[in-house]
Amino acid sequence: MGAELETLDEEKIQYIVVMIGSEQYGLDISVVDNIVRMQKITRVPKAPSYYPGVINLRGEVVPVMSARLKMGLEEDEITKDTRIIILRLEAQGLVGILVDEVKEVITLGESEIDRSNQNTNKQDTTYINGIGKSGDTLVSIFEINAIIDEVEA
Amino acid sequence: MDVSQYLDIFIDETNEHIQALSDNIMALEQEPENKDTINEIFRAAHSLKGMAGTMGFKRMQHLTHDMENVFSEVRNDTVKVDSNLIDILFKCLDAVEGYLETVKATSDEGTEDNAALIKMLNDVLDGNSGGSSDDAGDDSPAAEDSAPAAVADDQVGSEDPNGTNHFLVLKLDEEGLSKLRSAEEDDGLKLYGMTVHIQKECLLKAARAFLVFKALEDYGEILIYDPSSQDIEDEKFDLGFSVIFASESEDLESIKASVLAVSEIESVDLAAVTVEQYEKASEAEDTSASEPAAADDAPAESAAPAPAAASAPAAPAPAAASTPAAKKAANKPVTTRTVRVDLEKLDALMNQVSELIIAKNSLVSISSSSENSSGGLDTQSWQSQIEYLERITTNLHESVMKVRMVPIESTVNKFPRMIRDLSRKLGKPMNLVMTGEETELDRTVVDQLGDPLQHLLRNSADHGIESPEERRAAGKPEEGTIFLNAFQEGNNVIIQVGDDGGGINTEKVKAKAIERGMVTPEEAENLSQKEIIDFLFMPSFSMAKTITDISGRGVGLDVVKSNIEALGGNVEVKSTLGQGSTFTVRLPLTLAIIQALMVEIRDEKYAIALGSIQIIEDISIEDIKYVEAKEVVHLRGNVIPIIRLDQLLDFEPLDNEPSNLTVVVVKKGDLQAGLVVDNLIGQQEIVIKSLGKVIDNNKLISGATILGDGEVAMILDVNALM
Repeated sequence: MGAELETLDEEKIQYIVVMIGSEQYGLDISVVDNIVRMQKITRVPKAPSYYPGVINLRGEVVPVMSARLKMGLEEDEITKDTRIIILRLEAQGLVGILVDEVKEVITLGESEIDRSNQNTNKQDTTYINGIGKSGDTLVSIFEINAIIDEVEA
Repeated sequence: MDVSQYLDIFIDETNEHIQALSDNIMALEQEPENKDTINEIFRAAHSLKGMAGTMGFKRMQHLTHDMENVFSEVRNDTVKVDSNLIDILFKCLDAVEGYLETVKATSDEGTEDNAALIKMLNDVLDGNSGGSSDDAGDDSPAAEDSAPAAVADDQVGSEDPNGTNHFLVLKLDEEGLSKLRSAEEDDGLKLYGMTVHIQKECLLKAARAFLVFKALEDYGEILIYDPSSQDIEDEKFDLGFSVIFASESEDLESIKASVLAVSEIESVDLAAVTVEQYEKASEAEDTSASEPAAADDAPAESAAPAPAAASAPAAPAPAAASTPAAKKAANKPVTTRTVRVDLEKLDALMNQVSELIIAKNSLVSISSSSENSSGGLDTQSWQSQIEYLERITTNLHESVMKVRMVPIESTVNKFPRMIRDLSRKLGKPMNLVMTGEETELDRTVVDQLGDPLQHLLRNSADHGIESPEERRAAGKPEEGTIFLNAFQEGNNVIIQVGDDGGGINTEKVKAKAIERGMVTPEEAENLSQKEIIDFLFMPSFSMAKTITDISGRGVGLDVVKSNIEALGGNVEVKSTLGQGSTFTVRLPLTLAIIQALMVEIRDEKYAIALGSIQIIEDISIEDIKYVEAKEVVHLRGNVIPIIRLDQLLDFEPLDNEPSNLTVVVVKKGDLQAGLVVDNLIGQQEIVIKSLGKVIDNNKLISGATILGDGEVAMILDVNALM
C-alpha cells in the first residue's frame, strides 16, 4: 500500500546511471534506444573532435560522440566496461554516446533532484540540469539537448 | 459524401488533364484547324469538369464547364482560334491549377469564383452564339448552355425559371393539387419543390433517385413526382427529376445537404412553394397553348449542366453552402507523394521476388542435404547458388529503382508554355525544342528538378536570346531557339539547357567581378574562361542590366547550383560569344545504391563512386611534376593534379614513401584529378547511408556504407574534392 501511494504522489522519471571519468551521470531513459557494447568505430574525417566516428548498428550508420571529449576530459580509455548508449532523438535521429560504464537504473522524483546548480565553476555544468540524490550517491542529470547540439560548422 | 479517399486520384488525374490541355492548346495555336487536337482538348476539358463535379468542387466545375463550352464551339467551327483566345484559355488553365493547389492544401477548392475569366469565356461564346444556336442540335448541349450561363453571370441571382428550377413549372392535375392543398392547409406543413440533377456519367440513375427519396423521407412526405415515381424507378428519365414534398422542417440547407450527400448528384435546386403557384400555373396552362409541354423534356436535358454553371456564381445563399460534404473534411493538407507504376515494372518485381524465394529454398536444401551426407558443404553447388542469389539481388535492386523512376516529362512539359509566355512578354520570338523527355530519373530528383531547370530556361530566354533586331544584324534567324536535351550517360542523366543567343560576354563578367571586388584587375587577367564563367554561380551576381521580373534579381544561378548539388549533381557552362551558351546539368541516376570502387588508405576503407572514375594508373614518384607548387602528373597529353588523399583526410604521413603510387583518376565534367590511394580493394555495389545529422557538415564525405563484414566505410564525394 505504502509503496503504491508513494509512486502516485509525484511523477517519477527513470534514469540510466553511467560513469564518465570518476563521476556518475544520469540519462533520461525515455530517450535511450539501446545500450551496446563497445565495437569498432569508423573514423569520419573532418568531423568534430568529440565525434570519434560512426558505428554499424544493425545496418544503420550511427554517429558516436565521446562524452569525455565533449566535456573537456581526457580521451576515452576503452575497457571491457565501455558502452555506447544509443539515444533516439527527434531532431538528430540516432546518436551514440560513449561512456566508461553503465551502473544501474534509478528512479527519481522531482523532489530528489537539486536544480540549483551551484557549482558553476565546473566545465561540464552547461550539460547538466540538476543533481539527483540516489541513496548516498550523487548523480548529475544530463541535459540531452545541450550535450547533443547541432555541430558548429 | 465522403470523397476524401479519392482526393489523391483526383489530384493526380487533374494534373494530367491540365497538362494534356496545356500541351494541346499549345499545339492548337500552331495548327488551329487540327480536329484531332481539338477533340483531344474537348475530351480533357470534359473529364476535368466531370471529376471536379464528382468531388463537389462547384467553382472548379463551373470554370471547366465554360471552358468546355468554348472548346465545343471551336469544334463546331463557330469560334475561331486566335492568340487572344489562347491567352484566355491559358489563364483559365492557370485558374484551374489554382483550384487544384487549394485543393491540395486544404481539401477544399476555396472561394475564388474567377468570375472575370468566366465572363471572358462567355464573351467569346456570345460573339458567336447567334450563329451557333440555330444549327447546333441536341448533340451539342454546350450551345444551349451558353445562353443561361451568360445570363447568370450578368444578372446575378436571377435564374431562368424554365431552364433550371424545373419544379416551378410542373403541371399538376386536380388530384396533385388537392394533395398539396391538404398537406399545406390541413396538416400545416411547408411545401418544397426540388429539382435534382444527376451527373451525366451516372450509371444507376434510378438507384440515385431512390437514395434521394430516402433522404427526403427523413424530412417529410413526397407528394408529387415528375416524372412519375414508376418512371423514375424504371429509369425512364433523363438527367433530372423533380419532386414536391411536404415537411415540417424549415431548414432548406440541411435538406439540400442531405440530398447532395447522395453520390453522383450534380446539383439540387430547392425552394419553398405554395399551392397557389401551381393552381395559377395549371389555370394558365389551360388557357395558353401547350407550349410548356415541350419544355418538359428539353429542360431536363439542358438543365443538367446549366444549373451547376448558373448556381455557382449566382445565388450567394444556397451556393455558399454548396459543398458541405467537402467542407467537413477541409483544412488538412492532403497530398501524399505517389508514384504511378507501370504494371510491367511491378510484374518484373514480382517475378524476381519469386526467384529470390526459389534461391533461398535451394540454399536451404543444400545446407540440409550436406548435414545428412556427413561430409562438408557441397562447395560447388553452394557457390553457384550464391552467384544466382547475387544476380537476383542485383536485378531486384534494378527493378526497385525502376519503380521509383519516372520520366522527366512530368517536370519539363510545362516549359513550352512558359517559353511561349516569356516570348510574348519579352517581345522576342523564340521557340523551345525539347528532346529526351522520356529520360527517367528518381522521383525525388524529378520533383526537385523543376525549379533549377525553369531558372536556366528563363535565363536563356531573358539573357541568352537577343532582340530580333540584334539577331537580324548578326545574321541569325529572328526566332531564337532554346533547347532542352536530356539523355542518359553511364550512371548519370545529363540535361542540357541552352540557346543560340549571344553567349556569355566574359569581358563583362570580368568587369563586374572586379567592380564587385571579387577579384583584383591583375588577378582577373589570369583567369581562364571557365573561372570567369564560374563567377555567374556566385551568390547575388546578376548580369541583367535591368531587373525584370523574369530574371535578374540576383537570386539566380547560385541557387540553381546549390539545388542541383543538393541532388548530388553538378552544373557546367559552355559559352561561345555570339553563338549561345549551354548549361549542362549532370545528375546521378539513383540516389541510394551505387557501384563503387573500394580503396584502402592506411587501415581505413573508402568508397569512390565508379561513375566518376576514369582510369586507374600506377605512377612512378619521379613522374610527378610541380606546377605552382602543386603536384601534377602528365598523362596522355593531360596534366592532371594529384590529390594526396592521406593528407586530405588527416592521416599521418608514411615514414618511407613507396616509389610507385596508385592513382585513381576521377573526372567531373572536363576536370580531372588523380587521387592517391594506398591499395585497391575492388569493385562493389554499395548502399549509401547518411552519416546522421550531427556530423553531416562534411564536404569530403557524401555518406557511409556498410561492408559485407559489418564494417563501416566512408564514401568520398569526388565532386567536392575538385
